[in-house]
Amino acid sequence: MHERLSFFVKRDSPIHRLNPMTKAVMALSLVLIAFLSPWYWTPLALFLFVILPLSLVARVAREYWNFILKVILPTLIILFIMQAFFLPGESRSIFEVFGLEITELSARLAFRNVMRILVMISSFTILLLTTHPSELMSDLSRRGLPGQFAYVVISSLQIIPQMQAKAQTIISAQRSRGLDTQSSFLRRVGGILPLVGPLVFGSLVEVEERAIAIEARGFTSTRPKTFLREIQDTSFDRALRWALIACVILTLILRIWLS
Amino acid sequence: MRETAMRSQKQSSSWLNIGKDFNTMTWVLMPVAIAINMAVGQIVATLRLPVYLDSIGTVLVGVICGPWAGALTGALANTILGLTINPDFLPWWPVAAIIGLVSGICANYGLFKSWWKVVVSGFIIALAAAISSVPISLLVYGGITAGGTGMITAFLVESGRGIVQAVFASSFLTEPVDKITTALLAFAILQGLSKRFLARLPRPENVETDEKISRNQLLIAVGVVVLLILFAIFLLGRLTGAA
Repeated sequence: MHERLSFFVKRDSPIHRLNPMTKAVMALSLVLIAFLSPWYWTPLALFLFVILPLSLVARVAREYWNFILKVILPTLIILFIMQAFFLPGESRSIFEVFGLEITELSARLAFRNVMRILVMISSFTILLLTTHPSELMSDLSRRGLPGQFAYVVISSLQIIPQMQAKAQTIISAQRSRGLDTQSSFLRRVGGILPLVGPLVFGSLVEVEERAIAIEARGFTSTRPKTFLREIQDTSFDRALRWALIACVILTLILRIWLS
Repeated sequence: MRETAMRSQKQSSSWLNIGKDFNTMTWVLMPVAIAINMAVGQIVATLRLPVYLDSIGTVLVGVICGPWAGALTGALANTILGLTINPDFLPWWPVAAIIGLVSGICANYGLFKSWWKVVVSGFIIALAAAISSVPISLLVYGGITAGGTGMITAFLVESGRGIVQAVFASSFLTEPVDKITTALLAFAILQGLSKRFLARLPRPENVETDEKISRNQLLIAVGVVVLLILFAIFLLGRLTGAA
């Protein structure tokens, strides 16, 4: 219905068939291992030997690279350049321009930070490409997360596109009435209230009606709820989750032990 | 109206009273507040203003539904941004939660009742947001993020400050304008809402305006703001000078 807003790509792959919780644990443990590992090359290794194969197995490699190249890579390049130039570190200078220099140490640090962030974003991107948020939420509420949390997340996903469309409508409407949204700074500041006001008041008015509607449908009921869709949780899923948690703990122990 | 407000005042005297704050209206308000965060962020981007104003919804919930509801809204808002736009937002959820929490606490202490008190709240929220973003910036991004704040950090590092001090200083420089504007806008919105609507929410007493603002109070408030700013400058001087 609102696929546009989520990353989810509907495919049939072993990763898509995993339990949503397993995939969430996988994403989190990859991030934790990348950040906790005492070895310098771990994030790069994770990216090359875990995340790239995962994206292929999940058959979302094209969407994954599309997102990484268009959205993430430019940020990471800027981040690398800024960090390489400005992170403090006294060591052999390898590059100098306009009195700014990249030293060996700062370049190493910058590369590590960038790789960590790449692993973090990639592992969550793969989770989101293969898992629909509402599937994840319904699995979480099946495991005991209060239903209200699932309600907030899922209805946000529906309301946000509506609200963005409404914001666009209000901008056009106020412009057609002569609101200046492009000239001097002060004029633009003056534009905030006539744009934000209608949007916020309009959406808050609906809140009360919606509250009555969902209360009438047993929102506050504390009795056990049934689920429309059964989500598979195989013994392989459970084993994989424990293995991943064990890996994180092992990394943590190594980190403490080696430092 | 007055009576119900007074009754609810008695019930919510402790800001740890969590259960009461999470009624159905609160739960329904949260996704709307999250959408408001994003839509207002979009409007501000259209107007090309040097602020984000992407936590107005979070502050609204914090003020009118209590600190814990505000904290939850902030945390979920960042999670949803991460789920839908860019996973890069995910590590910043504690900052968003702190913004909601602190705005709720400020409101409980009566700091959302007139515009100058709201300025003070905005400043306090900014301080809390700046402090809580420092560890994340350091741990996740190694200190320098790829944005305007990162530029300031980079400049401070280049002029000889330590990385921790530079991250602190750049957060303190960028947060107040954004958060004070956010708080003032949230206040303006709350003033425009009908009393009937507010009474359905958990903490309507937080936004009942003071009937008369005495001159003394105003002077005290201006003094507090000046002192806070001086304190911040002092703190900045110490932090940056220490390196």
